Amino acid sequence: MQILSSDVILLTHATFGVTGCLAALWVFVETLNAGLANRGRIRTAALLTAVAITAGGICGGFWYVHFYPVEKALILGGPWPLAHNLFMETKEHLFFVTATLAFLLPIATREEADSNAVARKLILAVSGLIVITGLTVEGAGAIVNHGVKVALLPAGDRVLHRASKGAPPWIRGTAAKVHN
Amino acid sequence: MDSRDGREGPQLTAATSSFVLAAAVTVVFSTALAWAKDVSAPLKNFLKSLTGQDWTTHGLVDLLLFIGLGLIFMKTRASEGIPPRRLIGGLVVAVGMAGLGLALWFAFV
Repeated sequence: MQILSSDVILLTHATFGVTGCLAALWVFVETLNAGLANRGRIRTAALLTAVAITAGGICGGFWYVHFYPVEKALILGGPWPLAHNLFMETKEHLFFVTATLAFLLPIATREEADSNAVARKLILAVSGLIVITGLTVEGAGAIVNHGVKVALLPAGDRVLHRASKGAPPWIRGTAAKVHN
Repeated sequence: MDSRDGREGPQLTAATSSFVLAAAVTVVFSTALAWAKDVSAPLKNFLKSLTGQDWTTHGLVDLLLFIGLGLIFMKTRASEGIPPRRLIGGLVVAVGMAGLGLALWFAFV
């Protein structure tokens, strides 16, 4: 098994992104039940959101600049060019929206959500939007990854994969024998 | 720096409302810059020349704009005249427009 630095950076990027989304969801749920007791937790989770999204952006940005050009060429030469043209292009720019909201969240949580209805509404809106845009960015990343995968599969293997998808094991075994 | 005095109903502090307005403007600007980069190769090359990658420059410009506008709005109290609920609504609309605007742009343009 060989693990390259580009693999570590890419997976760290995705892990920080999910952590940021979960932390924003934590802020959302705590704010729904805002009180004096959880004021500190709301602020801690908001700070964790900002740190995780920033770290995810730095790792993702480094990988995008240094390693993505090769994968981009593969995707554009493969059967799923929209994995780059639509999903990566949208993802890399939508991330700036998520990051801006992540920087805003610790500022918004300086307000007292337990006694100020407008502040509560603001924190719910910002954290909810981070979860929605963040998960959209994560999902787009999975599609980009699949775009590379289908580009690397030889055409015959792709056909076999499609033909045996969902079939019982004995059919998959026969399909594999025919292919070989 | 508190804008609660003399206002009816719950309010946001000047710092918070300023940065909410700055975030809404930054989100709209960032989307417009993404569109502009896509149609203008000279602009994309110019951004690339500053840091080596247009995406990196784009991110730094967004960050500086968010912080800079937030501080300017705080100093000028530009967001004080906007009701907080409208400010929050504006941010939600800006994010929604940015998400849809980016997806539709890269899907069809």
